Amino acid sequence: MTESLNQAYSNSPRRQKLQIIGSVFMVIVIAAVMLILYLVVSARVVSTGRQLQQAKDEIDQLVYQGVNYRNQIAQLSRFDVMEEKAKELGFRAPYPGEVFYVPVPGYHLGPETHVEIQQDTRPAVINVNLLEYHQSLIEWVGEQLNNILRPFEGL
Amino acid sequence: MNEKITYNWRFITIAVLFSLFGLAIIGQMVRIQLTVNGGDLPSPGLLGQWETAASRRGLILDRNGHLLAGNQTVYAVDVNFSDFYQLGEIEEVNMLADLAIEVFGINNQYLLDFLWQEPRPLTKNITVERFATQEDLLNYLALVENYYAGIPRDLVDGEPSEDIELSLEEKIEIIDCSHLIRVSCTPHLIRSYPEEKLASNIIGFVMRDTKEGQLGIEEKYDSTLFGNDRTLWALWDPHKADQAPDPDHGANIILTIDSVLQADVENILDKTIKKTGAVAGTVIVMNPQNGEILAMASSPRADINQYWSEEYLDIINNHENVFNYAIRAYEPGSVVKVLTMAAALDAGVVDPDTEFIDEGEIEIGGVTIKNWNEKAWGPQNMTSCMQNSLNVCLAWVATELESERFYNYFQDFGFGQMTGIELSGEAPGLVKSYWSPDYTRSELGTNAFGQGIEITPLQMVKAISAIANHGEMVAPRIIHSIVDDGYRYTPPKTVVGHPVTAETAQTLTDMLHESLQNESSLALVPGYSLAGKTGTAEIYVPGQGYKSTATNTSFVGWGPTDDPQFLVYVWISKPSASIWGSEIAAPVFRKVVEKLVIHLGIPPDAVRVALEE
Repeated sequence: MTESLNQAYSNSPRRQKLQIIGSVFMVIVIAAVMLILYLVVSARVVSTGRQLQQAKDEIDQLVYQGVNYRNQIAQLSRFDVMEEKAKELGFRAPYPGEVFYVPVPGYHLGPETHVEIQQDTRPAVINVNLLEYHQSLIEWVGEQLNNILRPFEGL
Repeated sequence: MNEKITYNWRFITIAVLFSLFGLAIIGQMVRIQLTVNGGDLPSPGLLGQWETAASRRGLILDRNGHLLAGNQTVYAVDVNFSDFYQLGEIEEVNMLADLAIEVFGINNQYLLDFLWQEPRPLTKNITVERFATQEDLLNYLALVENYYAGIPRDLVDGEPSEDIELSLEEKIEIIDCSHLIRVSCTPHLIRSYPEEKLASNIIGFVMRDTKEGQLGIEEKYDSTLFGNDRTLWALWDPHKADQAPDPDHGANIILTIDSVLQADVENILDKTIKKTGAVAGTVIVMNPQNGEILAMASSPRADINQYWSEEYLDIINNHENVFNYAIRAYEPGSVVKVLTMAAALDAGVVDPDTEFIDEGEIEIGGVTIKNWNEKAWGPQNMTSCMQNSLNVCLAWVATELESERFYNYFQDFGFGQMTGIELSGEAPGLVKSYWSPDYTRSELGTNAFGQGIEITPLQMVKAISAIANHGEMVAPRIIHSIVDDGYRYTPPKTVVGHPVTAETAQTLTDMLHESLQNESSLALVPGYSLAGKTGTAEIYVPGQGYKSTATNTSFVGWGPTDDPQFLVYVWISKPSASIWGSEIAAPVFRKVVEKLVIHLGIPPDAVRVALEE
């Protein structure tokens, strides 16, 4: 009885067609998912690449602007400019006889204090070691699957 | 049956269409492979553009961080003269060229010939200005945009409109010309010296075209300061965006000089040269305890932002290194007596109380040596010999030392060798060896008081540091630190010898302190214990011999004598107001020290001793 039922179903033309159609759809769906994933990852890579390129352009712009700022500060604090301003404000250079040294009890001439000139000379380096940049599609899929399956580990 | 036939016909039609499409693709592939030159086809993976990372040349700063050499953004302005055929377009290109000539002041004949030729060549993208400033470029763009907007040019009798006064923001912002079709502007960096002439003799300059450092620090540390622009082919492929060039800035150099002091010293030197009718001069201020150069003024100086100017050609394109007199050799005259006396005291051939009867002349090696006033000074001791700067006495002292010891001491003092200062173009000077074939014994006598030898002011400073610094001679240095990539290198103090003992140095310092006091020198600064010596040297003129009317006047001094904080060397060349170092160079020393003690916060001796107690 069972054998005849199995035979009846397995040999059913409708059943066979459904199996074929189902398989084809399954392949299409898997392929579509894979392609979409690939598209998403590629888009991210392209987007990151573009961001990187823009960042490098911005670095150049910032270098030029930084140079201009520094140049302007230097121009505005030139000695002749500062001296002129000091004169306008009524200052003049002192002579040795005009300087008074007042001994402060308890204060001793200590070693000279050096103030470090802070200059950030670190090169402008962008971290291009992003995961999106070096991860293959298969690795990414594996990682996503792991993320999905992680809650079920140990059950 | 009929349905099957219909379906077959449809299948066949679709198959044929797809086949034709496939054949067309294959046909196109075959055509490309066989007929089109492969080199003409761009490979998508190689598409890109030349990109230059904005790398700046390292800064040069003074010891307090004040900027002496920086950078400035300028623009390469290109005008595209290609692909125009219509009358209106020709007029447009003519206008672009004329405006460029006017605004950028183009005087390059090759470029002018190109811009003026009629008819203009059709296919050329030409750089009309490589170093357009922000102001000039904005002015040019404003005129170009006015032209496109149909606004008449603001010209009166062909004169250009007034320069635009830029706001601070406009001076900072980077100009974008991408909205213009025929004009492009590319920013790049050039060297800028905001203080213009200040310390220019130390800094040197950078050639704008080749970006090579010339003279001074710029030449000596060219490779250290160099900012590598790294022009690379940057791919458009975003996957390879990380291959675009990163900036590679040059290292920053911090000098030992103090700009405020440098400005004061230069000011004193310039005024002296003008007042005394001198030709040139130099003043060096050094800390004798560690060799740091605090100021090194030289006159004349050039505005190194305009190094190509005709005004400065004599200073820059000069074989005798007049760019920096501090490292140029000359006959220093009587300041050398300090070292002759130091050698004699150290060797034990004389002491401060050794008596000498000055008869007004002495014969050495067949040559008669006389005093500066050609008179006999009678009984003298060594202190009065120094105080009165007696050539005869010092020549006698040299004969007591004898040639071998005398020149060995001079070698120990570093004469005839470069000091190793971090400046390009240092002269080694010239001191003959007593065993050289052309050496005559008379030179022992003349060399003793600084004639017949060539020494740079910096060599003198180095040698005298041994006297000022209790026998320890230090190498002068002008680099305080080099900062690169977050790391700092500070060269250590370098002791280059002990040519005399500490006792000798102290004895001589006391002698020179006493002699300055006794002669009421113009170098004295009230309240401060100073030691020093004047120098006046006749200048040798080829074919005419030594001329007493043209002299090199010098002064070397240091203080406070018990705890030396500064050592100052002055050389004024060919003054016309007076020929004597005591009248020309000594007052310069005093003026410099007056500034120095205030700026370095050195209190008068009495106050200092009270503070130390």
